[in-house]
Amino acid sequence: MNPSVTSLAHMPKLQAEQLRVLRSGKEVLSGVSFNVAGGEVYGLLGGNGAGKSTTLAAFLGFVPAASGRVVVDGLDVGSDLAAARRAMAYLPEAASLYEHLDARENLDYFLQLADMRCSADEIDLALDRVSLGAEARGLKLRSYSKGMRQKVAIALAILRDTGILLLDEPTSGLDPTAIDEFHGLVRGLADAGKAILMVTHDVYGACQVADRIGLLRGGQLVAQFEAPPGGRIDTETVHRAFSPRAAA
Amino acid sequence: MIRLRVIAGAEWRYWLRSRLVLGSALLMAGLLLATTAVTTLRMQGEAAERTHHQDKAEAAFLAQPARHPHRMVHYGHYVFRTPTPLAGFDPGLDPVTGQSIFLEGHRQNTPMFAPSGASADLGGFSWLSPAMVYQLFGPLLVILLGHGLIAREREAGTLATLLAQGAPGRLLLAGKAAALLSVIVLMSLPLALSAALAVRDGDPPLAAVALVGVYLLYLSIWGALALLASALLRRRTAVLAALATLWVVLTLVLPAVAVSATSNAAPMAGKLETDLVMLSDLRKLGDGYNVNDPAFARLRAELLAEHGVQRVEDLPVNLRGLVAQASEQKLTDTLNTYARAQMAAETRQAIVLASHGWFTPLLAVADASRALAGTDLAHHHRFLQEAEALRFAFVQGLNRVHAEKLSFSDDIRRSSDAQAEARTRVDASHWRLLDRFVFEPDAAGSRLARSQSQWLMLCAWFAVLVGAGAWVGGRLKP
Repeated sequence: MNPSVTSLAHMPKLQAEQLRVLRSGKEVLSGVSFNVAGGEVYGLLGGNGAGKSTTLAAFLGFVPAASGRVVVDGLDVGSDLAAARRAMAYLPEAASLYEHLDARENLDYFLQLADMRCSADEIDLALDRVSLGAEARGLKLRSYSKGMRQKVAIALAILRDTGILLLDEPTSGLDPTAIDEFHGLVRGLADAGKAILMVTHDVYGACQVADRIGLLRGGQLVAQFEAPPGGRIDTETVHRAFSPRAAA
Repeated sequence: MIRLRVIAGAEWRYWLRSRLVLGSALLMAGLLLATTAVTTLRMQGEAAERTHHQDKAEAAFLAQPARHPHRMVHYGHYVFRTPTPLAGFDPGLDPVTGQSIFLEGHRQNTPMFAPSGASADLGGFSWLSPAMVYQLFGPLLVILLGHGLIAREREAGTLATLLAQGAPGRLLLAGKAAALLSVIVLMSLPLALSAALAVRDGDPPLAAVALVGVYLLYLSIWGALALLASALLRRRTAVLAALATLWVVLTLVLPAVAVSATSNAAPMAGKLETDLVMLSDLRKLGDGYNVNDPAFARLRAELLAEHGVQRVEDLPVNLRGLVAQASEQKLTDTLNTYARAQMAAETRQAIVLASHGWFTPLLAVADASRALAGTDLAHHHRFLQEAEALRFAFVQGLNRVHAEKLSFSDDIRRSSDAQAEARTRVDASHWRLLDRFVFEPDAAGSRLARSQSQWLMLCAWFAVLVGAGAWVGGRLKP
């Protein structure tokens, strides 16, 4: 974690407290508790059906908490959903943006929906930060690769300038270069003081970028790992916990 | 408000880039052009024919030489009703009921006793008009454009991105609804143009505005249905299938069921059965050509007593004319009783059928449209009543001439005495007793009043759907 933002680390931006979620009567999250502070990247790891995306959905208010609560920037999602959503930026797995619009049009539209107005220069600056080539910016997104779309989605998160960023399987389908670029961007945003919750099943990627990792299994948070000061979380340790049989 | 406009604008951008609106607009324009052309040509043909026959009938009638007045009673005359200008948009019942009536003595106009089965088919689906394009195909275009409003976003994953920006679900739905409403307004422009032309040609502006309004409301109901289905179902294909099923049920199945249910709930006697009973009643009235018929004995006795004479030949008035007057009065009273019963039965059926508008907005809008265009059953009934009043006044006017201008002695000898026959002729100025018939269409107030229940039904449909939309919008999930 960047020492310059150490003070922010004491202020949890995202909190899940004994979160329990039911889907079609079935318990998919059971008493999950964790928090993410400003300047911190929290990786939420787990296999298919572990409850990772449901946890994100609970923060976004897409699924209600059967018990417990989720808090975003001090706002209870159950009672102040709109304000909570405005306090965070969300990067969906497929970087779901409009294919019939170009990068600038996409950004402009979503920013207006977030009640924000950014100039063309500000938008270009954000696209510069995510290294989206100038020649691609006027093309419709249907001609973009997944990595390029991901960059536009991250540019949106940058422009939203919220203190919290939720990422859903952000590196899925990206090539290694794009993954490295992406990790660099995420790390940079965290170092700027943002609280980042990253849901992934990529153990290696999570260890590369996260300050802490929580491991979900069967809807329960079964382990947490923390990077040593100035270092990284040990991939091997997490891998063993993630998949004990494979590690053996 | 700004975000609402932004959402609506984004939808328009999608439609324009996907050429969906363009394709739909071309389809709608093609259908409207075709139906408008067919309707206009048909109405022009009818108008030309009507004018030709009207002028011919009038000229022939007025050109009749001096005649015995009762000959003219039987000579008869046509009266015509010019359709309202808005009938070009919605001919309503006109193609079923016709626009001309033959007036003659001792008989009422034939449309008055048209086959009763026709009245059950008040939907008037016999041929395609611009109104039917709006009623049947308008919803299909709204479905085509509206089914993907939310489902498309959900399938593409953009709904989650949209909601995550803090835009409330209700705002999203409202923005999408605004986009769809703007398309509906565009779809209504040809109708607005028809209405404006109808106002230019003499229809009341309020009725024309209300007609545009009722179709806007009807198409908005379909828009709300499309949006609601799009927000509730996960897949576009499922939304489209559900809406197509709903369209079939609401525009084809339920109206047919409603017509059938109406025939059962408010049955009417068949024409043959009615005619036989009526003929039997008419026979009891006596023979108006026979002054010695017992049915007129009292009249005869009263007249003789009143004038203090013993013989009908000594009366200062022609008993034959008076008997004809009394006979026509009794006959008309009886015919009117049957006509009123028939009209009441038809009205009852129309009311029962219209009540099904609570179950399908198509019946509500079709009913309101006919009332506002002046092509509904009430309009037709008033035409029949006014034509009948004219017929009765004309026949009785000739009977009065018969009673007052012709002597009884000449009258009974006219078939054997040429001079008597000549004296029983009256000059042609008496034919002018028949005023030129002008049927004035209902004023805007009456048309609006008759469409009141249908407005209420459509408003209820819309309010329920908007309420459901607000509820679903508050719970919108990706």
